[in-house]
Amino acid sequence: MNTNIRWQTSEFLPTPLRYGAAVVVGLLALSIIAFAIFQPIKVLPRIGLAPGLGLIDQDGRVLSNETLRGHIVLYNFTYSRCASPCPQTMGVMRAVQEQLNGPFDNKGFRIRLLTISLDPAHDTPQVLKEFALRSGADRPRWWFVTGDESQLKYAVGGGFNVYYAADAKGGITVDPVFVLVDGWGIVRAEYRTASPAIDRILRDISLVIDEAKNSEGAARYAYEAAHLFLCYPK
Amino acid sequence: MKRIFLFIISLAAGLGLTAALTFAATQWLRPPALHGLVMQPQQPAYNFTLMSHYGQTVSLSDFRGKWVMIYFGYIACPDVCPATLAELNKALLSLGKQSERVQVVMITVDPERDTKEQLAGFMPHFNKSFIGLTGTSEQIKEAATYYGIYFAKHQEDTALGYLVDHTATVMLIDPDGYLRVVYSFGTVAKDFADDLKYLMAR
Repeated sequence: MNTNIRWQTSEFLPTPLRYGAAVVVGLLALSIIAFAIFQPIKVLPRIGLAPGLGLIDQDGRVLSNETLRGHIVLYNFTYSRCASPCPQTMGVMRAVQEQLNGPFDNKGFRIRLLTISLDPAHDTPQVLKEFALRSGADRPRWWFVTGDESQLKYAVGGGFNVYYAADAKGGITVDPVFVLVDGWGIVRAEYRTASPAIDRILRDISLVIDEAKNSEGAARYAYEAAHLFLCYPK
Repeated sequence: MKRIFLFIISLAAGLGLTAALTFAATQWLRPPALHGLVMQPQQPAYNFTLMSHYGQTVSLSDFRGKWVMIYFGYIACPDVCPATLAELNKALLSLGKQSERVQVVMITVDPERDTKEQLAGFMPHFNKSFIGLTGTSEQIKEAATYYGIYFAKHQEDTALGYLVDHTATVMLIDPDGYLRVVYSFGTVAKDFADDLKYLMAR
């Protein structure tokens, strides 16, 4: 009761305290609004699960999505005899490889490029090896794989949503698509063009790295909040 | 002068209180961090159609209205699968009555040996409500691929015959059929239960 009277009649307590309370509430609201507007942390959306894979690489060994767990992987889809638009898409892969081997700061994360051939009948491991050599692939960085028809249909056609079909001339029509998958096996970006900007791919890889680096402790909440507020890059 | 001084003090106290409240909020009031990888934005999960151990054709869409936990395993699995199924059972037990809103399904990655009869004998060991699903190897391959599951036979001279190497994640699907959380192998019952309680309360 006494405190109540003091509260109402005191000369200095009410006004400053009221200001104080307003400041507290205001700052809390402002900080949330500011986070949503200025989006200090950018993340890539978690688009979906990358498909399960059990493919054969250019050495004839099995390469599965479990082998790739913990690696950030950029996928593309083609075949060794492809004339168009594959030289262009392979050029993109080569340019990304060059940047990754050169100035790009990987912050200790393992980044791989993976070319999946859609022509298993022709693209034996030996053919893939030559294809890799011709494409300027640097072995530990850039892998070439293929698999049986049904596995490719489910994984590439269904899982990665890439349209491909045999054409009349005995070749394969394939939509140019690049897919970026994070170390947890989640699709984080898709580039549905034959000539995506290299800078954009590298920026996206950096965003995935930064999120993985901050996936523990207090920083994780900030990153999950960024997902919640859809803080996606332009 | 005195008023300005007091205002500055209260402002400082306000700022301090803000910091303390924010800290408290992140510590106690924050929504519990889910224990798996949260899909954001949410995506519809692949709608499989397989054979249940009751002998009925079952699709994911048949479970609308329930939280579905999907695991890929097989009966002859020596360690990983029984451990995961046991954790899921423990999680359901700790949910009590709420567990009626959760359906655990195991999709076999060994359809040659895991017939519906075999699964009917196996699944109730863990929990009477668990459902085992099987199908043709093409159906299984398709479902597994879409859920990010790799599996391959692994020849080994054991009393159980061959083994099957497989991805051991658990997928949580919401009552609308959207994939919400992916759990890695080793997630314990309490973590599953905490997440389910939190998600079901919303």
